[in-house]
This record gives sequence, structure tokens and C-alpha cells, in this order.
Amino acid sequence: MSQINYRTINIDALDPESSANFPMESLLPATLPQAASASDAASAAAQVRQMLRGGDPEGALRTVLDTAPLGGDDRAKEVHLATVIDVLQGIRQGEMTRILEGVCSGDGGAERADCLMKYLYKGMSSAAPGSGTQTPKKPVSPQDTGFSQIQARNLGEGGGGQQMSVLLSWHERLVEIAGTGSIVRVMTDRRTV
Amino acid sequence: MAAPQVHHLFHAPIADHSFSFDKKTLAVARENNVELYQQSGNKFALSDELKGHEKTVTSVDIAPNSGRIVTCSQDRNAYVWEQTPTGWKPTLVLLRINRAATFVRWSPSEQKFAVGSGARVIAVCYFEEENDWWISKHLKKPIRSTITTLAWHPNSVLLAAGSTDSHARVFSSFIKGIDTRPEPSAWGERLPFNTICGEYLNDTAGWIQGVAFSPECVTVVYPSAPEQPPRAMLNIATRLLPLNSLIWNGENEIIAAGHDCEPFRFHGDENGWQLAGSLENKAGEVRGAREESALNMFRQMDLKGQAQADTKLKSTHQNTVHTIRTHEEANGVVRSFSTSGVDGRVVIWNT
Repeated sequence: MSQINYRTINIDALDPESSANFPMESLLPATLPQAASASDAASAAAQVRQMLRGGDPEGALRTVLDTAPLGGDDRAKEVHLATVIDVLQGIRQGEMTRILEGVCSGDGGAERADCLMKYLYKGMSSAAPGSGTQTPKKPVSPQDTGFSQIQARNLGEGGGGQQMSVLLSWHERLVEIAGTGSIVRVMTDRRTV
Repeated sequence: MAAPQVHHLFHAPIADHSFSFDKKTLAVARENNVELYQQSGNKFALSDELKGHEKTVTSVDIAPNSGRIVTCSQDRNAYVWEQTPTGWKPTLVLLRINRAATFVRWSPSEQKFAVGSGARVIAVCYFEEENDWWISKHLKKPIRSTITTLAWHPNSVLLAAGSTDSHARVFSSFIKGIDTRPEPSAWGERLPFNTICGEYLNDTAGWIQGVAFSPECVTVVYPSAPEQPPRAMLNIATRLLPLNSLIWNGENEIIAAGHDCEPFRFHGDENGWQLAGSLENKAGEVRGAREESALNMFRQMDLKGQAQADTKLKSTHQNTVHTIRTHEEANGVVRSFSTSGVDGRVVIWNT
């Protein structure tokens, strides 16, 4: 006699009308750029590092935010995150505000500000600092909400703590320029970086 | 610009408010009841209560001409209230929904009203003479989540709806025998019931909290990242916290309010929109300018841990604004509008 524990049946999986089966892809806009691969991200990274070495941090930040792999796979996104963090760490405290004002103004400035905000939050949530060799984490909730509270945090342990303080000071400056509206938009945006 | 008229009605959130056509009566949703206020002098005094709902009332609307009030609530019911010599008489509406009703608005013809709900349907309700009963037809596909807001086109057929699945949609709610066939417009020529005339996703996938047809009716707008004509969609990225509700003022101005507790103006046209500033006049306020004695300052620091009590917001509303409605308008230009919010205030603003 087969024994079924009815309490453990996932009834949501059986009900096509259930809200747990919400099609998340319906939230992706049609204007999403082409899927970028890890090699595309790597070539963008080389270009950006070139600009950074050439003494053009504003151009580097602008380029790295414009080439964000919004439609890419996890690997491409990891590589690009490492590039963004390199750029952010390569800019001196005193120059932050001036560079941010340059990057967040002009055509598409608001999108760049939102994109940078996404990278700041992603950088703060990733456990291994600055590494491009992170294994993708298992989603904690059945629907990947993009946010999870159960995660190792890198509080004050060497390099991680330093990276965090850089991200936090960028965050502070960015909120001064783009306002709290940017944070709210990043919370809901499904075009993740 | 004259100062806004503030009516602090009670210390409880106002989910929705509605003025009668003559602006003398104000209906306010307060917890499980709807309270009716009558204007007397400069004030609004409580005159009647509409009791009947068993859970929080989420929305209320007074029909301008017939004076009928429709209310809907989290108890999944809607009532139409009619004034009789013995008081307000409720009629239950068969909504056939299994989740809370969230939003209700009369159509401009006042023959129908639409109820948005958490059951992923919009119930379009109309009165059937034969049965002496309000019945509903459901707009269902392709709604994937709770309806948060609705707006009627002046032809009473097209209905714009905003939803928590981040889409704003325009439906046809044409009901044979009730509606006259609409003129062909930018939205389509033949419009049977449940035609989807437009479906727009907000780029950042935020919830749609408000929609409105522009005076020329080619545009639907939603805040938090607003604006969309049938062909293109534009988002206005602002520095602000999410906006909850909006109205059009002419073809080139939107007034919206939300979690920042004050109304904002947006200016623009087909080429782009931008924030033009707040309608709040903060500069005129003189606050805390008086000279503090050192003794008083140290006493305050000792008692409260701070030198100055700073618990009041500088805005007129002291909490989130839920609803914004046109109060008086002439030729499509809004002369005054009213807002209500979580702080229990109804404010009438002059533009």
C-alpha cells in the first residue's frame, strides 16, 4: 500500500492558476539587449581597464555601465561585476562626486545611475570579494526574488571589509545625486546585472 | 496661489475619498465604514455613516449626477448606496470574486462601474432591470496579479487598469444594451467585451499604482515611472519615493502624489516628461525661528535627548498620500484638486 503524505504535496505545482506559478519572464521588457556571453564581458573588461589605465576614470565608468550584460548569463554577469568593482575601487574618494555627476548627466544618465545602483547592491551581496570565479548560489525562495536574507556576509574580514566601505561610500554619493527613487527602482527591476 | 485647505477628519488612514458633484458632501473610507461629511462653513462635519462592510473598505466613489455611492471592501463585496427618505439604502452587488476588492470607479455614463480585485479579475458591473439586481461580467485575461487601480475613458467603454504584475492595460468593457457603440479611435474600431487595446510593461517592473487617460484620451499614465501613449512608452525616473495616484491637468501636465507626502507636478509632451517641482509652498513657512534660551535648550536635551522636537513633516500631509482627485476643472484645466492619505487628512489644493 503506497503511503502518500498529503501535507507535503506541493499543490501550487498542480494548480496552473496559482500565484506561485507566476511567469516571471512576463516582467522582462521587450527592449532587453541581446544576451551577452562571458567572452563579451571579458572583452568589455579589457577595454574598460585600458581606459582606467589611460587616466579616464569617468569614461571607464560610463562604458562599464553602458555595456552591462542585462540579458546575459550568470557567468557574464559575474565577470562584469568584477570589472565594475575594479573601476569603483580605482577611483579616488575625492573624485567620486565629480565623476558621478558626469556619468549620471546627459543622455541615458538616469539609466546609468540605476545600473550603478544595481551593481552596488550586487557587490554588497556577493560573499567572495571581487572574485570572478564564484559559483552561482542556489535561489533560496522558489521564485528568485533577487533578494535573500540568508547569505554569508563579509563583515570586516580583510579585503571584503575594504570593498564594502568603497561600495558604501559610492552608495552614499549616488543617493545624493539620484535620490531614493533609484533604490526603489532597483528593488523591483527584473533586468538584473 | 492660495494656501491649501486642510481638513483633518480623524486619526486613521483614509483609503479613498470622493466629493459629490456640488462639493458639499465628502465620502471617506474609514476602516469598515464609509463616513459622509457635510460642508458647514469652512469645515466638514460628520453627517452619516454607511455601515455594512465587514472588512476594511478599500475604495469609494460618488456618481456625480445620480448621487449614488459605490463602495468596495476587503470582504469581497461591493454595495451601491442610494439615498431614500429613510436614509442610505445599500444594494449588494454580485461580484463573484474570491479575493478582496481593491478599487472601484463609476463609469462616466454612470450605468456601470468597475471593481478591481485581488482575484486577478476586473468585475464590470451593471444594473439588470429584469432581476432588479446589479450583476457583473469579468475581465480576466491576461491579468496575472492584483488590480491596484482603474480609470475610465470618457466614452465609458474603454477601461485602463494598473496591476501588481507591472502591466498597465487598456480593456474594452462594452456591454450590449447598456453602452452605445463607441466611435472608432486610436484604440481600435470594433471593441467587443474584453478586447485588449493596449498592454504596457513598466521597464523597472514596479507595481502600477495609478492610471489616467489624458484629456485627449490617447495617453494612459501610471506613476512610479509613468506615461504611455498607444505607440510609445516613457518612464519618468525621479528622485522621489513611489507615487500612488495621479491626474492630468491639460494635455501637458500631470499632478501626482505618493509616499513623499506631497503632490508633484510633471511637465512634458510627446518628446519627454520631467519633474517640475512640488506644489507645496515650503519657503513661506517660518518654522522654529524663535530664539531659544540656553536653559530651555538644555532642558529639552535632558528631557527628550534632542534640542528641538522635530516630529512634524514640512509637508501638509503628514503621511503617504493615497488618492488624488480632480476637485474643480474648467475646459480640461484643473483649478483645484483634492488629496487624502494615511494621516486622516483631506486637502484641497489650488493649482
